[in-house]
Amino acid sequence: MPAQLIAGNSAVIIGAMYAGCDCFFGYPITPASEILHEASKYFPMVGRKFVQAESEEAAINMVYGAASTGHRVLTASSGPGMSLKQEGITYIAGAELPCVIVDINRAGPGLGNIGPEQSDYNQVVKGGGNGCYNNLVLAPNSVQEMCDLTMKAFDLAFKYRNPVVILADGVLGHMVEALKFPDEAYTPSIDTTWAVCGNHETRPNLVTSIELDFSKMEKHNFKLQDKYQKIRENEVQFETYMIGDAEIVLVSFGISSRIAKSVVDAARKEGLKVGLFRPITLFPFPSKELKALADTGCKFISIEMNNGMMREDIRLATGCANVDLVCRYGGRLIELEDIMKKIKEVA
Amino acid sequence: MNGSKSPSGSPGVSSSPSTTARPGTSASLATSPNMNPRELGTYTKNTWCPGCGNFSILSAIQTVLASMHDEGYPLENVVIVSGIGCHAKISDYLNINSFYSLHGRTLPVATGIKLANPDLKVICFSGDGDSLAEGLDHLIFAAKRNLDITLILHDNRVYGLTTGQYTPTSPLGFKGKSTPMGTEELPMNPIELMLVSGATYLARGYTHGIDLLRKLFRDAIMHKGFSFVDTLQVCVTYFNMYETYNKRVYEVQGNDASSFDEAMKIARSWDYNNMEAPIPLGKFYDIDKPRFDQVFPGYEPHPVDRDAKIREVLDSLI
Repeated sequence: MPAQLIAGNSAVIIGAMYAGCDCFFGYPITPASEILHEASKYFPMVGRKFVQAESEEAAINMVYGAASTGHRVLTASSGPGMSLKQEGITYIAGAELPCVIVDINRAGPGLGNIGPEQSDYNQVVKGGGNGCYNNLVLAPNSVQEMCDLTMKAFDLAFKYRNPVVILADGVLGHMVEALKFPDEAYTPSIDTTWAVCGNHETRPNLVTSIELDFSKMEKHNFKLQDKYQKIRENEVQFETYMIGDAEIVLVSFGISSRIAKSVVDAARKEGLKVGLFRPITLFPFPSKELKALADTGCKFISIEMNNGMMREDIRLATGCANVDLVCRYGGRLIELEDIMKKIKEVA
Repeated sequence: MNGSKSPSGSPGVSSSPSTTARPGTSASLATSPNMNPRELGTYTKNTWCPGCGNFSILSAIQTVLASMHDEGYPLENVVIVSGIGCHAKISDYLNINSFYSLHGRTLPVATGIKLANPDLKVICFSGDGDSLAEGLDHLIFAAKRNLDITLILHDNRVYGLTTGQYTPTSPLGFKGKSTPMGTEELPMNPIELMLVSGATYLARGYTHGIDLLRKLFRDAIMHKGFSFVDTLQVCVTYFNMYETYNKRVYEVQGNDASSFDEAMKIARSWDYNNMEAPIPLGKFYDIDKPRFDQVFPGYEPHPVDRDAKIREVLDSLI
């Protein structure tokens, strides 16, 4: 399949179509609206469902409903809209239903602006709504991954019956790169062991997040935690670049990791032993792998467009208190020079 | 306490001490005899598209506020609240107390402001996406409570800021970015909805009829209770309706605004879908009903007395 130039937000819908996504429910918000537009264009053409909902809360609850019928469901939004979706997401997690949510992160807090930021890290990686739950979180750093990880997100969502969030940002959503289309389209079948399909076979299935009996609710929580542990053990995904002999390891995800990678090349030219560790899954976080790196005695610099939300996870994983940070806010990308300066300070 | 009319009959001038101009801050606003509406502008760069109907709304409200000032109403007692959408930039362009709030939450924010400080005149600006989609529940409850606030709806029937998706008032078949084959939903009629929800003042204006718009805005602001002005405001970029509106609009005359049935009849005479039907403008409904801010449990506005009251309550618990 030849490659085609395409924007990140469009690549999400291509991935979703190939992954057998049946339904899209969304609400306009910049910089995620193109996902809505692309879904509205292509979904009806192939007999799939599309609704522009009346709000983000409405959209996520439509996702909740459609997911309970065993279908592959997608929604997309950005920071302020993600905050609104949290109510629905915790119910979906509690009821153990699969769905995929794309967050094209913009600058905050509050309305902020439409520039890129990675500040939704905490609200998607740490749960975000009420109760003890986790989303699986995938962080693409290219248009190709916007498509590929959307496909993978559906697999994971159904494997674990859990919400999966694609955490991208305004740059990834809008930048245009070559996309190699997936080799084949997946045609899913409904798993009638848990879905409610309005037929005799699935009549005993119950979708709910309520359990009034304390012991039963605790048991349900234990079950969820066991699931998250299994996810931690099996689904960690990351990428490394020149870390073999690295004395300083840049840890970065999403669009920031693209900048960090250029910095590694520039630093190597100056004879500095710098490498890059890029978590692709933010939950599960590659804690074991980072700990192993820390044990070699290297130093870490977290490169992220927020106030060091991922740095907290690096600290927890490695036990290193002195993990440095280079960050920008407000829609500003991190400058190569700022990272170089920090590397020289640390080295 | 608040809202008593001045002897000259000028609107809503309060006699409470809190409404007098603070020295050195806004005295000029309160004392100069005639205000040029342009004084209510700001230096913020205006980013509305050329030809946008929002300019008329801004101009009309400036004129109304300036006339209120000229009649002795202290403009520091006016607060405007906007939501999110192209309309909301009015908070940046109007030199008056303003609150640039959340998407769809214009009315809850305004409710908080009005209840916390009943002396204030609260005017909300909101869009059709803002109030009829994201915040529809709040709109219904504001009307149901009949709180003494005004909502001016910038009804351009399209999401302009997010570049052209259909909204709750877009006509059937509207082709927007999220409806490439045309929307399959019929539009809602916000005036009909507000009438049954309990609003006590209902009107429709059009941004090409600035005199009527000023009259309706002023009337709505003076009204005691929840007033709603559906303002047909054209988005030249994503849904240019000037030609249709110019042909179809007319001003209702001699209607009995105290009649629910008559208001309903006028409201239903255009369903926001039929491009051939005449579109009535003007005041459709205007009645007096108990307001939420009147029946809201009284509070003691003076802190000293409030402390005494709290002590009294606490003592009674011992």
